[in-house]
Amino acid sequence: MPSITINGTPCSFTPGQTILQVANAAGIDIPQYCYHDGLSIVASCRICLAEVWAPNPKTGQVEPQMGGKLQPTCQTPAAEGMVVYTDSPKAVANQKAVMEYLLINHPLDCPVCDQAGECLLQDYSYEYGRGVSRFEEQKVKQPKKDLGPHVLLYSDRCIMCTRCVRFTREVTGTGELMVAGRGNKEEIDVFPGVPLDNDLSANVIDLCPVGALLDKDFLFSQRVWFLKSTPSIDPLTASGDNIFIEHNQGQVYRIKPRTNPAANRWWITDEVRYGWKFVHGDHRLASPMVRQYGTLVGCDYARAYEAAVEGLQKAAAGGKKVALLVSPMIACEEAYLLASLVKAIDPEAVLGVGPVPVRGRDRIYPEGADESHPRSFKMYAEKAPNARGVRRVLASFGPVLEYADVLRTLGAGSGRSDAGAVLVTGNYPDAAWAGDELTGALAGKFVVLIDTLTSAAMGEADVVLPSATWAEKDGTFESARGHLQAFERAIPPVGLAKSEGQIALDLRAELDRAPARVSGADLMVVNTTPGQVAAAVEVAPPRSKAYAAAAVRAEMASRPGLDVFSTGVRTPEQPTAARTDMPIVAL
Amino acid sequence: MAFPPINPNLSGPVLTQRIPGWPYADPKGRHVVSYEEYVKTGGYEGLRKALGMRPDAVTEEVKASMLRGRGGAGFPTGLKWTFLPKVKADESGREEDAGRRYLAINADESEPGTFKDRLLMDFDPHLVLEGIAICCYACRISTAYIFIRGEYHHQAKVLEKAIAEAYANGVFGGKGLLGGASTARGGSWAVDCYVHRGAGAYICGEETALLEGLEGKRGWPRIKPPFPAIKGLFGRPTIINNVETLAHLPSIVSQGSGWFVKQGRASSLAGQMGSHGTKLMGVSGHVNRPGTYELELGITLRQLVEDPALCGGMRKGKKFKGAIAGGISMGVLGPDQFDAEMDFDIGRKYNVLGLGTACPTVFDEDTDMVAVARNIARFFKHESCGQCTPCREGSGWLYQLMTRIEDGQGRTKDLDLALEIATSMGSMPGTTICGLADGNNWAVRTIMNKYRGEFEARVRPTFVPVKVSVGAMARG
Ligand SMILES: Cc1cc2nc3c(=O)[nH]c(=O)nc-3n(C[C@H](O)[C@H](O)[C@H](O)COP(=O)(O)O)c2cc1C
Ligand code: SF4
Ligand code: SF4
Ligand code: FES
Repeated sequence: MPSITINGTPCSFTPGQTILQVANAAGIDIPQYCYHDGLSIVASCRICLAEVWAPNPKTGQVEPQMGGKLQPTCQTPAAEGMVVYTDSPKAVANQKAVMEYLLINHPLDCPVCDQAGECLLQDYSYEYGRGVSRFEEQKVKQPKKDLGPHVLLYSDRCIMCTRCVRFTREVTGTGELMVAGRGNKEEIDVFPGVPLDNDLSANVIDLCPVGALLDKDFLFSQRVWFLKSTPSIDPLTASGDNIFIEHNQGQVYRIKPRTNPAANRWWITDEVRYGWKFVHGDHRLASPMVRQYGTLVGCDYARAYEAAVEGLQKAAAGGKKVALLVSPMIACEEAYLLASLVKAIDPEAVLGVGPVPVRGRDRIYPEGADESHPRSFKMYAEKAPNARGVRRVLASFGPVLEYADVLRTLGAGSGRSDAGAVLVTGNYPDAAWAGDELTGALAGKFVVLIDTLTSAAMGEADVVLPSATWAEKDGTFESARGHLQAFERAIPPVGLAKSEGQIALDLRAELDRAPARVSGADLMVVNTTPGQVAAAVEVAPPRSKAYAAAAVRAEMASRPGLDVFSTGVRTPEQPTAARTDMPIVAL
Repeated sequence: MAFPPINPNLSGPVLTQRIPGWPYADPKGRHVVSYEEYVKTGGYEGLRKALGMRPDAVTEEVKASMLRGRGGAGFPTGLKWTFLPKVKADESGREEDAGRRYLAINADESEPGTFKDRLLMDFDPHLVLEGIAICCYACRISTAYIFIRGEYHHQAKVLEKAIAEAYANGVFGGKGLLGGASTARGGSWAVDCYVHRGAGAYICGEETALLEGLEGKRGWPRIKPPFPAIKGLFGRPTIINNVETLAHLPSIVSQGSGWFVKQGRASSLAGQMGSHGTKLMGVSGHVNRPGTYELELGITLRQLVEDPALCGGMRKGKKFKGAIAGGISMGVLGPDQFDAEMDFDIGRKYNVLGLGTACPTVFDEDTDMVAVARNIARFFKHESCGQCTPCREGSGWLYQLMTRIEDGQGRTKDLDLALEIATSMGSMPGTTICGLADGNNWAVRTIMNKYRGEFEARVRPTFVPVKVSVGAMARG
């Protein structure tokens, strides 16, 4: 492989790469504002300049190129034997000059700027700047602008890297943003009456290296240095976008894209970015409930589990079937645990997939681009993260019914059904999934509902168990691109919620213990006063295993058809750099 | 003072043979030369002769003439044409199809103090059109766009009318040049020619910003490579030449490169290309007879200003203080550089950027050079396209500094700061994409260096405490 030397470090490269790309891949720091992997190269910020030497083809002597003038590393292709200096006096002088220039018209209002802490102007000031400014004149003052539903522009903080403009031209192809004016009076702007409002609009906020483009939703809600970042997977659509959940003290604050060239590349859609609101929504189910004298009342888990297992078992014992409806919103591991549970209660149980929402049609950005193009972005119409994974897992237990067939099996239309009990999972970001056809089909059966939000399905439920959203648990989703991608728990469960996986394990423990008790059930006097221990039952709560996605995957993999879970799951890359500022001292 | 003869190698003007002007005639008789008049006076004969030559032979002839671009950079025109992708031919000499190629004629002429292309477009548009046709044939180009400065309303109309005449008489259009005349290349060669009006930005004179403008985009210079000869307008090979450059082609083709090389002079510097042919020199400023003169390259600035047949001396008999060499981007010639020769060596010999457009603006002894510097800085800050950080921010800063110095509010250290800012920007040090920043750099720097005393007199000395090592503080 050919190689070049950057600041004394030899780096191999593939022909076609620019010097900056080689440096980025090798972890050598060269400052850069206008360059972005996903956008065209404009080489206009001029901070990445270097002195470049290269072998003279005639003599083989390494000589300064272009008469020794500085060259943009983001634009100059690497060539065998090149020697690049971004730490030479000339290159450093340019870095200091560019930093000073960028700051002369910058308001320096870091204390009130949302970007502070993740701002390239701050970072590079520290690394490459001059420390003091010699500018004593008037700054150019520019207005704040409302660009669209999600994005605010603080024009005076803009450094004119044009990443945002190029994004709307090259990625979405919508071209809402433009540069207006000339020289140091120029501004980013939208055409009057045409706001920045496309499916990917908020990506410009991430692209902006400074605090010029800000997120209205996140504005002033948290200083970024308090945020913890957990790698995760898009929980709302089939595209399997790689994301970071950024959170603090059990509260999600924002979602950011995580680069994955094979999936979402550098971007996420606005629906994924802002779709997490249901996690902390008002309609979260906060505690288990059982139906008592016709009404759902809150109770503790022990009682809810007991009622659930009892109801399911009764149906099976009464010659009726148990049905399991697994929503495409929950993880593969959870589908596995639920299916195992239901099959243990009723080996004849019916397994089906919950409704898979679809909105619009699949779209490729930019319009008309080839899906395989390394810079295209596909947005999926299917708004569920794991329909494929759920089908794959259930299929290893027997035939899998699609939602319409499940409804039919439950008697929708005919009124006749041999199913006596249904275990239903939800976890949809809104309540619309539980429509009349579902409630109609559930009517008259024993229904255990495991869900996150209040919905019409509760009207038919005999037991309700509050479940955790994807942010509150581990698991694996299988995207429409065919990737099995694992995600990690970012925040603790909200309220009393538990993951579907944990609930399945708890119910299993309840089930395994149940026969000993049920045998003498007729004779027992059961005290059902809330808060009181049932008089004649064992007091020890069922001991279940803790849900751990990785352990479940290992177990699943031994099942025929699920061996892909042993090696085929992509786990997020763990940051390797260890922090050295807190050495461990033996006391 | 006795001056050497004007245009010693010529009996009369070349570019301006149909446009009366000093020293040959009184400009009062100027009028727009129509197609009929142009043809009657030998027009389109150069094109006819060119069509009888193989395209590469035309390029060779232009190369041999050592014609250098008149747009500012002085790049050898024939050489530029050879950068186009080579066109292969079979044994019988039949050429392969070269695909779409474009000629962009740079008629943006926005350099302050420059008004030379304008003369040709005002009065002898067919000379320009003939040059365009010759270039298109030599470079196998079938579409030419004249990008004309937005403010040149009248000139655009004249050109459009002339183009209509040319179409009506078969010079341009589908049948082929000169009514479908057969060419030495085989068959005829058809060219379409259009006028595209700019929108008033100086930067659109920069060749790649011009291409962006032609494509309907914001005039932001492109990064190079790729160079326009390989990937230019609409992604196709493109030649960009100045109006005056192209206007030289008819006479070079009809009279031969030898005739052209005899005019002007060889370079006085070792290994440099000479400065041949005539040049339109538009003189403005404090002279008795400002105007555009066609002169052989190499005439001294002093003769241009003082020769009674030309500018006729400094206005009101004042003393010469300096001159902008050729458009303000080039910097200034100082009081001791009055004898500078107006040729392509001027940059190396007299510490300016280059000959530029060879349109000097002359200053007399009463000129406030600080005000000149401030005004120039204002121009560049206004015209910076805003792409490159050093040019966008540096030009604004420099202007504010200059304003403050002119107002007497500056300090000595501001002079050094201004010089540092000016020196930091430009495509020559590599810190910017295009040459506009070099213009700012050279203009401000040469004025400040050549008239340092004036600047120092304008500022309040910065108080420097004694016995404190300023150097050590500055390093800290
Ligand atoms: C900022 C800037 C402005 C320019 N303006 C003009 C112009 O107005 N007219 C022109 O002919 N060339 C202009 N040029 C030079 C052109 O870029 C280019 O060199 C020229 O048109 C080439 O033609 P030539 O080889 O025939 O001279 C400008 C260059 C720069 C950097
Ligand atoms: S708003 Fe941000 S991304 Fe857009 S040009 Fe300015 S600094 Fe760059
Ligand atoms: S040097 Fe100035 S005018 Fe030229 S491209 Fe850069 S910012 Fe624009
Ligand atoms: S990153 Fe190279 S010029 Fe901006």
